[in-house]
Amino acid sequence: MSAQHSQGIQTLLEAEKEAAKIVQQSRQYRIQKLKDARSEATKEIEEYKKSKEAEFKAFEASHAGTTSEAQAAVDKDTEVKLKSISDSFDSNKDAVVQKLLDRVVLVKPELHRNLKKVGA
Amino acid sequence: MSRPMNDDEVNNELQKMVGFIKQEAMEKAREIQVKADEEFAIEKARLVKQEQQAIDAQYEKKLKGAEISQKIAQSTLTNKSRLKLLHRREEHLQDLFNTARQSLLSLSQDEGRYVQFLEGIIVQAYLQVMEPTVIIYSRKSDVDVAKKAAENAAAQYKELSGKDVKFEVNGTLSDDLAGGIKLISGSGRITLDNTLDERLRLLEDRMLPEIRKDLFGPNENRKFYT
Repeated sequence: MSAQHSQGIQTLLEAEKEAAKIVQQSRQYRIQKLKDARSEATKEIEEYKKSKEAEFKAFEASHAGTTSEAQAAVDKDTEVKLKSISDSFDSNKDAVVQKLLDRVVLVKPELHRNLKKVGA
Repeated sequence: MSRPMNDDEVNNELQKMVGFIKQEAMEKAREIQVKADEEFAIEKARLVKQEQQAIDAQYEKKLKGAEISQKIAQSTLTNKSRLKLLHRREEHLQDLFNTARQSLLSLSQDEGRYVQFLEGIIVQAYLQVMEPTVIIYSRKSDVDVAKKAAENAAAQYKELSGKDVKFEVNGTLSDDLAGGIKLISGSGRITLDNTLDERLRLLEDRMLPEIRKDLFGPNENRKFYT
């Protein structure tokens, strides 16, 4: 009878061992899954970063275009203004020179306003 | 019923137990796997979101930086342009003053007006220093007219202030100058420069607002005039 007992217990022990193996496998699966999470996340992040970088580069390229445009526009505007300055100067120069010369010789001698004429 | 089991029954029970153990193990394994999948998804999403936020913030900053540098570039352009305009104006102004300085030389040719002018500036000089004795410096070529003018000026001075003045005329100014006089008080302490050149210089400075308006038009951005 004890021979039968130990056989039975053996069977049960083997079954337990099998069961433990099965559970252990699933635990390994879990660990692997967590590692996968890490690596797949990293991959997705890289993709995202690349797309953002491309977006930014596109913006920069368009901006470089506008800068040179702006430069040309400002230069043209400046030229126009420079010309108008010179034109206005040329038409008014003589009048102003004359004004200056007239005032140079204009003299109005006056006694200082705080003083009074000394009677004598 | 409480007889001991026979071999078959024992085997049966054993098999049932083995089955049960296996079943439990499979269920547990299944549970672990399902949970693992869930955690995988959550962890991955969390990591991705976290990094995405960081990346977004980083590019936000880069974008702002680029915008700012663009604004700076624009502002620099405008500034350069303004400087060019101001430079041109300054050039014109200097040109104008040079022309005026040249023309000064012709002022002393008109005898009548020049004598009158000399008289006027000498009175002005007398009234400015209010000294009893002065020395008047004129150009060598002007000495005679200056002497006459100084006489008349002294009379006018007496008219205006009731004071007397004693003067002396020295013809030591260079003939290259445009004209006018310099005056020093008797003690040598006060100098007065009333030459045409100096007067023009003073005018150039004082009249700048008026000159600007006449040459280039009033300032459109100005809001206040006294």
